Amino acid sequence: MMSTPLFLGALAEVYAERTGMMVCAIEGIFLVGAWGGFIGTYITSSLWIGLLLAMVFGMAMAAIYGVVTVYMKQQQVVTGTALNILAAGICAYFQRVLFGVPTTPLQIDTLPKVAIPILSQIPYIGPIFFCQNILTYLAYVLIPLAGFVLFKTSLGLTLRSTGENPEAVDVAGINVNRIRFFTVLVAGAISGLAGSFYTVGYLGMFTTGIIGGRGWIAFAICFLGNWNPKGVVFGTLAFGFADAIAIYIQSVSGSTIFPNELVIALPYILTIVLTISRKNFNVPAKLGVPYTKES
Amino acid sequence: MKGKFNVLFYNVGAVAVGLIISASMLLFMRINPLTVGGEAIRKIFMDHYTTGEILVKATPLIFTSLAFAFTYKANLFNIGAQGQFYAGSIAAVSLSLLLGESLPTALVILIVLIGSFAAGAAVGGLIGLAKAKFHANEFLVSMMSTYIVKALMDYLLRTGLQETKAEYLQTNAISINAYLPNIVPGTRIHLGFALAIVTAILVWVLLYKTPLGFRIRAVGYNRNASELGGIRSGKIYVISFFIAGGLAGMAGLTEVNGVQHMLLQDFNSSIGSFGIGIAILANGNPIGCIFASILFGFLNVMGTTMGRLPGLSIPASIIDLIEGIVMICVIASYFVRRAVQNNIEKKHVKKAGV
Repeated sequence: MMSTPLFLGALAEVYAERTGMMVCAIEGIFLVGAWGGFIGTYITSSLWIGLLLAMVFGMAMAAIYGVVTVYMKQQQVVTGTALNILAAGICAYFQRVLFGVPTTPLQIDTLPKVAIPILSQIPYIGPIFFCQNILTYLAYVLIPLAGFVLFKTSLGLTLRSTGENPEAVDVAGINVNRIRFFTVLVAGAISGLAGSFYTVGYLGMFTTGIIGGRGWIAFAICFLGNWNPKGVVFGTLAFGFADAIAIYIQSVSGSTIFPNELVIALPYILTIVLTISRKNFNVPAKLGVPYTKES
Repeated sequence: MKGKFNVLFYNVGAVAVGLIISASMLLFMRINPLTVGGEAIRKIFMDHYTTGEILVKATPLIFTSLAFAFTYKANLFNIGAQGQFYAGSIAAVSLSLLLGESLPTALVILIVLIGSFAAGAAVGGLIGLAKAKFHANEFLVSMMSTYIVKALMDYLLRTGLQETKAEYLQTNAISINAYLPNIVPGTRIHLGFALAIVTAILVWVLLYKTPLGFRIRAVGYNRNASELGGIRSGKIYVISFFIAGGLAGMAGLTEVNGVQHMLLQDFNSSIGSFGIGIAILANGNPIGCIFASILFGFLNVMGTTMGRLPGLSIPASIIDLIEGIVMICVIASYFVRRAVQNNIEKKHVKKAGV
């Protein structure tokens, strides 16, 4: 299920943006996650170490992002762009340092698909939803969990208040910047895992163009999903559906006559159309605004 | 004036720190960065052609960085310069192929200039419109527009614009008549570089010496206050995105008519994001964009030259690494500068208190 990384990435964004932090480095975090998953698995031939490394790399990028945007209070969009370039450079460069120029593409085994007993036997739905790899199941668990944490716990209230009214949170004796920084770290870990889906979970190899803008789509889904885990589900399914249509049209008509570039552009067009048409956005009030304590 | 000098000082320091960090990355390949760097610099300046490449590479970067800097002054983020550049390139190559043979060079260049500006500006203007009319997030829309324009370009390269041999995804070469004339013999430096400098100066004049520029900056500083002052911010959004898009589109002219003489797939695929870095390095100042672009042009040539040094196989991707690190250092330096200034001010306040 190709929607898994989008689910995870958008969810990470929801957490972070609820506290007022846009993680504009998400494209780069996806990439280092994909790369971390790949080299971890390739070197140790253990998929678990691969996934762990993906999380660590994702958190490392998020940590740089957090330090610069939360503590140094610099522009989030700009910092994100810098980190995206940096991520591309790091992955391409160290891939070369580690492996030179291989004559055949390096391959790793991908995560096995685990069929859940009973559930996977349901006709139609079973094989689609319950015969997936572990990352997809993780997404199933994390999405309702996010809904619960954000809206039913005091931690969630703190997180949301940090994005809406940081002064109030500060007055309540909670360190705003620390909350934001750690949320970004968590978002980095989740996004790193999301990125690793492309290498460890799906392709079994790494190229520098492997993410190709999908981090941005996850970013967009968070917006379209109205900063809500439920919205993320609908948003991701809409994108997954568009993708499926694209693949279907391509397979039916062949690529010669029908402009399959239109199909490639469809998710991006969809994003713009939805961004324009949605009216009742519930933007966290302090999204993208650094918090400075009055002294 | 002192403030400007201060920024420059911190920026130069940040770039130096960034370069030192990136140079130490070479140690991972068991290469001595000093000897390799020295060798590369010697190679670049020994050879006029390669020295000229710095300015050739800097030319489109000046335009894309201006495209970001311009909207940045209105506190908008135009991160779609890449797409606007592609739109400009499509216009430039179509017009050059169509008119290149029949009209005199000066006229062709003028038409292509207007065409590429208009194409980029159309893309930019639509983003501005989405922001002004529908309160869409301009950051997201401009990001997405890049992918859409790129898909459009791929489509055209596969169909209407593809070369007559139909072998590669590229157009026919444009007629020599439509080339931007070379201005320094022995190099590839073309008229586009001069155009870029003139444009940057014009943008500076527009931003700082005209009523429109004042309005744009006013909206950037405080949108609500300028609304109260009678400035319609929606209109300013559209105008500034329109102009920014046009500026990025002009890079299409300089690259198609000045360097490649055709349009290829994935053409100059990172000038958009580098433009953002350059604009930040220049603190959004159009004149600063010229110098920062030349610096990035130099880094670019440095990267490829190091890659070509025999027996070392340094990957060309080191350019991304260097530029990413330099950008982070520059961003961090803004924080350091602020902190240092605050400290100095605090000391003054304390002294005054005693």
